Amino acid sequence: MSFNPSLTARLRIGFLVLFALLLVVSLLGVGRLFQIRVNYENDLTRYFQLELQTERIRSAFILEQAATRPATPHQKPSQTELSQAAANFTDAVGRARQLTGADPVLNARLDQVAASEAIWRTHVAAPLLAGRVPPPRVERRLTSTVTTDNDGLANATRATRDDARGNARSDTRDTTILVAAGLAGALLAALVLFSGLINSMRAPLGRLVEGARKLAGGDLQTRVQVGGPVEIATLGQAFNEMANALERDARERDRVEQMKDDFVLTVSHELRTPVTVVKGFAEMLTAQRRSLSARQLEAAEVIAESAGQLQKMINDLLDLARSDAGKLRIEPKPTSVRSIAQRVGRQMRPHFAEKSQRFTVSVEKELPEVEADPDRISQVLANLLTNANKYSPEGAQVRLAASRVGDEVEFAVTDNGPGLGDEELDHVFDRFWRAESGETQSVGGTGLGLAIAKSLVELHGGAISATSAPGEGATFRFVLPIAKDGRPARKAPKRRTRAGATG
Amino acid sequence: MTRLLVADDSETVLLMLQRRLEMEGYEVITATDGFEALERLKEAGKKKPDVILLDAMMPKKSGQEVLEELRGSGSKIPVLMISAHLDAQEPERMRSLGANDCIPKPFEWDDLIEKIEELAANGR
Repeated sequence: MSFNPSLTARLRIGFLVLFALLLVVSLLGVGRLFQIRVNYENDLTRYFQLELQTERIRSAFILEQAATRPATPHQKPSQTELSQAAANFTDAVGRARQLTGADPVLNARLDQVAASEAIWRTHVAAPLLAGRVPPPRVERRLTSTVTTDNDGLANATRATRDDARGNARSDTRDTTILVAAGLAGALLAALVLFSGLINSMRAPLGRLVEGARKLAGGDLQTRVQVGGPVEIATLGQAFNEMANALERDARERDRVEQMKDDFVLTVSHELRTPVTVVKGFAEMLTAQRRSLSARQLEAAEVIAESAGQLQKMINDLLDLARSDAGKLRIEPKPTSVRSIAQRVGRQMRPHFAEKSQRFTVSVEKELPEVEADPDRISQVLANLLTNANKYSPEGAQVRLAASRVGDEVEFAVTDNGPGLGDEELDHVFDRFWRAESGETQSVGGTGLGLAIAKSLVELHGGAISATSAPGEGATFRFVLPIAKDGRPARKAPKRRTRAGATG
Repeated sequence: MTRLLVADDSETVLLMLQRRLEMEGYEVITATDGFEALERLKEAGKKKPDVILLDAMMPKKSGQEVLEELRGSGSKIPVLMISAHLDAQEPERMRSLGANDCIPKPFEWDDLIEKIEELAANGR
């Protein structure tokens, strides 16, 4: 298995490395600066002492001169004083030699001073002590040589001191630059380290985000490639487990849904045969009214009617089950609105007559054909009209109207019955929902008619809606698309056709 | 008297159809599956039925198969298919197989009589 530390381990390692780098760079830098400073201070001290010794050499030589040439003519040169001054001179030179160290320039200068003093002592001091006066030119030259050489030593010392100062300064600057560069390098390394860490997270996180979006979008087969630091990899695994669970649940739900659909389809189908038989025989009995007693006839009629209701309910349930299973199919074709309206009107008229309700059908003239399955749209209209018939009191008015609205034909079923409140309107297309006003308690029906009507209209690509207010009747409207290759409206006025085409 | 051959796998439905059709004044021969239907036809000999009512879905031999066999042997007796399929394409499919008409299950009694009468009249 490859090395794959966790996020926290990566961060810890990153910080430790950064800390160590910073520490090393700073310690080295500070140490070096300290060293430069100490060295410079030592040099400074040494050169000051060297200057001191130079001045001692100068004064010893002056004393040597004084010993060989007393201030007053009657005094004699003193061998003792000269020896003492010479000892001082030699001592100063010795100390200076210790201070010059290995510096060749200073050593050379020092040697020169010592040498010219030895020459002076041989050619000036010795003759004077012996009572002989050296030639003044020689004495002057040799004496000034010693002084000049000593000045040279002093100047060289100062120059060397200045050099040391300059060196210390440039060393300090170089070190400072080096430390700054080191710190910058350490920070850069840390930056590279952290950006590497972030990069190692970016790809797996991106995959997770994409996966989550896909999953939310309904693609339950989405899985992410697990990778990256341990925490992210764990998150990826958890995501995949979640997706597995979701997919399992969805499968289970689909299976149960499918079972339910199959169950309803099968049951409805199986129920139909016995109901058909009951209805058939009951109808046969009612047709034999002369051979039955009044009570037998009544019983037969009730059986026939109830069986008819049962049959209608089973058909409705079957339609809804088919609709849910996506098996409800329609066969739309260019269909005349007038023929549908007339067909449904004929079918419904007896029911309205029974309750002394006034039923009118008005179809706009020159309506184009609609793209519809005539049987199914008749079923929708029959459902709407049946409701109007059932829920409106005796003597009410019910109207079926069809008119053109843009590129669609609108069907409207209006009654002046008790109407529906807003609350009721919200549920009017729900399954098994039925209006509950006192008046309508006795109304039969499955509560499926409007749900089926909605399914069917939507299957046609149309929309259904209801408007109503309590006490003011109700209107149910739905629209169907005009048939594209259907017969145009007979004698359609040009004005209207053009308006339709451009509008 | 108009003679009918009615085939349906449900005995109660068959009995109900038989009794009601007899009440309407038809002479009715019954069969509970496709084989029986073809057998009854053979037995009838020259007294062939005027109209055949076939349930599309029957065990052993379906109404559809009976229809195909009938038309294959050159019989021109009008056939009314009774189909439980609510599929919109069903009537068209039945006609293409040689059925003269088709009625969906469940049907209104008057619609059935109307269709039988129509087929009987055309067959004469």
